[in-house]
Amino acid sequence: MWPYVIGGLVLAGVYSIATLGLILTYTSSRVFNFAHGAIAFFLAIFFHWLAVDHGWNPKLAGAFVVLVCAPLFGLFLWWALFRRLTEATSTIRLVSTIGLWVALPAIGRILFVGREEIFDRTGVGPTPAASWIRVAGTVIDSDEFLVLLVSVVVAVSMTIVLRYTPYGLQVRATVDSPRMAGISGINTNVVSAGSWMIGTTLAGAAGVLLAPLKGYQELNFTPLVLAMFAAAVIARFHSLVMGVVGCLLIGMTQSFIPSKWVRDDFLYRVLPDQSQDVLISKLPDSVPFILLLIFLLCYRGVDRERFAVDTRAAATDGPPPTARDLDGWRRFRTPAILILIVLLAPVPLAGRWEAIIAKGLAVGIAFLSYTIVAGEGGMVSLCQVAFAGIGGAMTAQLATNDSWTWLPQVNGLLAIFLAALIVVPFGLLVALPSLRLGELYLAMATLAFAVLTQNLFFQSASINNFDGGVKVPRPHVFGVDFKGDTPFYYLLVVLFVLAAILVMNVKRSTTGLNLAATRSSEIATATLGISVVRNRLIAFGVSSFLAAFAGGLSVTYVGIALPAREFDALIGVVWLAIAVTWGVRSVAGALLAGLSFALFPQIFAEFEWFILVLFGLIMLGIRSNVRRVVVQRIALALWALFWLGAFLVWNGNLSEVPLIADSIREIPTTLFGLGAIGLAKEPRGIVYDVAHRSRAGRAERAARRSAGPSSADEPEMVMP
Amino acid sequence: MIDSVAGPLLEARGVTVAFGGLVALSDVSLAVPPSTIVGLMGPNGAGKTTLFGVMSGLLRPRSGTVSIGGHDVTRSSPQARAKRGLARTFQRLELFGELTVREHLVVAHRARHRRLNLAVDLLGLGARPGPGESDRVDAILNDLGLAAVASHSAAALPLGTGRLVEVARAMASEPKVLLLDEPSSGLDTRETEQLGEALRRLHGGQGVSLLLVEHNVEFVLALAQQVTVLDFGRVIAEGTPAEIRGDHAVQAAYLGVSA
Repeated sequence: MWPYVIGGLVLAGVYSIATLGLILTYTSSRVFNFAHGAIAFFLAIFFHWLAVDHGWNPKLAGAFVVLVCAPLFGLFLWWALFRRLTEATSTIRLVSTIGLWVALPAIGRILFVGREEIFDRTGVGPTPAASWIRVAGTVIDSDEFLVLLVSVVVAVSMTIVLRYTPYGLQVRATVDSPRMAGISGINTNVVSAGSWMIGTTLAGAAGVLLAPLKGYQELNFTPLVLAMFAAAVIARFHSLVMGVVGCLLIGMTQSFIPSKWVRDDFLYRVLPDQSQDVLISKLPDSVPFILLLIFLLCYRGVDRERFAVDTRAAATDGPPPTARDLDGWRRFRTPAILILIVLLAPVPLAGRWEAIIAKGLAVGIAFLSYTIVAGEGGMVSLCQVAFAGIGGAMTAQLATNDSWTWLPQVNGLLAIFLAALIVVPFGLLVALPSLRLGELYLAMATLAFAVLTQNLFFQSASINNFDGGVKVPRPHVFGVDFKGDTPFYYLLVVLFVLAAILVMNVKRSTTGLNLAATRSSEIATATLGISVVRNRLIAFGVSSFLAAFAGGLSVTYVGIALPAREFDALIGVVWLAIAVTWGVRSVAGALLAGLSFALFPQIFAEFEWFILVLFGLIMLGIRSNVRRVVVQRIALALWALFWLGAFLVWNGNLSEVPLIADSIREIPTTLFGLGAIGLAKEPRGIVYDVAHRSRAGRAERAARRSAGPSSADEPEMVMP
Repeated sequence: MIDSVAGPLLEARGVTVAFGGLVALSDVSLAVPPSTIVGLMGPNGAGKTTLFGVMSGLLRPRSGTVSIGGHDVTRSSPQARAKRGLARTFQRLELFGELTVREHLVVAHRARHRRLNLAVDLLGLGARPGPGESDRVDAILNDLGLAAVASHSAAALPLGTGRLVEVARAMASEPKVLLLDEPSSGLDTRETEQLGEALRRLHGGQGVSLLLVEHNVEFVLALAQQVTVLDFGRVIAEGTPAEIRGDHAVQAAYLGVSA
């Protein structure tokens, strides 16, 4: 009994240190930091780098990382990112920190981990942990004792600071009404920067304390992330007390799962025989989100003030990025060129590259689902990947009739379609309880669904088949055999185009108009007699169909359905980052997102020089965009230096440069994460940005031509 | 034309609303008879916008009832009330920043006349205008002088024009009773006259009832047939515009003179 209680308390302690920081930053800035766990991981491996790679005294390194670097890092993040987000639309607020969540661990590994994974468990205390005290016959070791001590200190001091200090009063005032607090003389910037510094410090503390208990791989931090998010929902994002209660619930439940009472007497009797061991091993990670869903259902009626108007949500992304502004044939130009490239690609690129592009096309259809759910519906869904995975798994079951013998066996293509239809009710069920509660709750509910699907459904024996997956045959339709790679490739192209037409139809339809209206003003839409929830459900349903369809196509192309590996919940987070980076408002964005998801890792792995070209292009982009002359010169000099260096490296072999060789696999993820963060500045994604600039450039050139050459340099000069 | 009820089209009875300890409305009753223009006046903070919120379903009253055409709608959603023929405009503009002016009207018109049909939408047939849609929309645009900006994005409109778009959108949903929250603030004299005429035509031609919140006292008194005056969440006067002009309590509320 006691070992489980102590274990649960220790887990709850780590969770609540991090959760308190998360809730504090959310309440003081209304930005939910999805990257909170990533920051914990980043600072933990930084600590390890100092303590092990550079031989610092662990206690000194720990104090330096948590008390000096973490606040400064928080200040930097606030200055560079969070500060801009408070005024952004709610979707951007969510997605930018998701980008940080994706990018930060990858950057951290590039900087601090090097060639080999970290396997030791060096911590602030003695290594290995010394046994410290005994409570009721159970040993508490030094690492665990430190966790308990710090968590109590943090909880007590947070309470004192918020209740009894001027800073606490200012935070509470800012929470209630940022504008009124600003008017009454509180510098809300200072309050918000301070909260981010404290928040990051707490994340760092949690990271440095957790790593010696669990290990330094990013995987080991996932439970912290999941527990923290669930506890934040249980706290309804504002109650510190409920946050701690949530952490205790989660920690205790997780700790008691392997105990005799829970596992032997309950789980072994309830769960199906073949997959019970796998399911039980995955259960701790599922606990937070099972609790989250339960609380979500309880809270359904609580925040009934549905139309409590968040004025910042009304801020729009500016004029619409629709094809409307493009005249005539130009609106079809980008998609047409892309489709042409894709159509011709198999001719020079037979074999493996064709297969990779084919995967990109299939995933591209999944990215089209973001065009509907995020672009049109304005909702952040983190479970499109789960829909794709279920679609893939169901396709396999329908097409092969392997383990679920009660299912009818159908033609491969029909199986994909039916599987996608089966997924739709699940999609509606996920969205329904949280649609009214707001976007953050929806994001949490979808993440919960993705994680639970991953842990409980994809891992079950009939789906996972001991990591072997289920074989899926290629279809044979209308006398055409799609067994060959190239015929199937063209089938994918056709289906992508059909899906794209479907998406464009929805955008132009009454539902599309209603959704566009809802994005700007929910209350105006509702008072016109339009059901906001119903329109959003339609968007969610269509998007879940598309995602599942894409999943079915993907597994059929590959020939094996192994959703546990291909459609992991965290891959879904990367998906979202890629989708928004390219832009969720256009079909071209979805296609580019799909292709880059499939191609980038492969390109980076095979052609190191691609990195150089890419960075060269980015540098060039920076150079041409910067207006100030001095900065422009510096950028130019850097650019020249860069290519000189590139040439020198080129002469040798790039992969012998150790930093680059180790970091290659991290680079695509980093780029996508950074792209999503960049939304804080350019909320409509790359595709719109490029289109907008070339349009502005055309207009400018046209204006210059008509004004005559003399005014080209000084457009503001008054003509005599 | 209108349901065969002799009673008022829209009625709030004994409505009380409190935000925390602050009582915004206390036992307020207000009735809008069919085909009538009712003015609602009162100084800042009198509770006019709160009463609009209660009537359109965005706020739940602590006590009291709201009914439309004799049906109790106190617990119904804003959508359900709109379906019964209620429309409103907002004092703080609630425009659809990503749509053009014309599309605002199309959305409103379709909300009344078109059932959502997913199959139609997916097949690309959903973009076509319904019967009479274009004529009706164009008529309203012309009526309010918005034809010139019909294809402009609503995000870049000046405040006065934005207010007219709010009114036009509400009209396009073809209501039986239209709640206007300060429609003339931010409009210049010419625009105000044009708005007044358009509202008279709407009332005279189609028999739509209007409930009008205004700061512009002359605008209300010239337009309305009945006026209710609120102050500190209470009704302090009711009557015809002529009666209101002479009412001491109203003068006290507006001018600060003790009655």
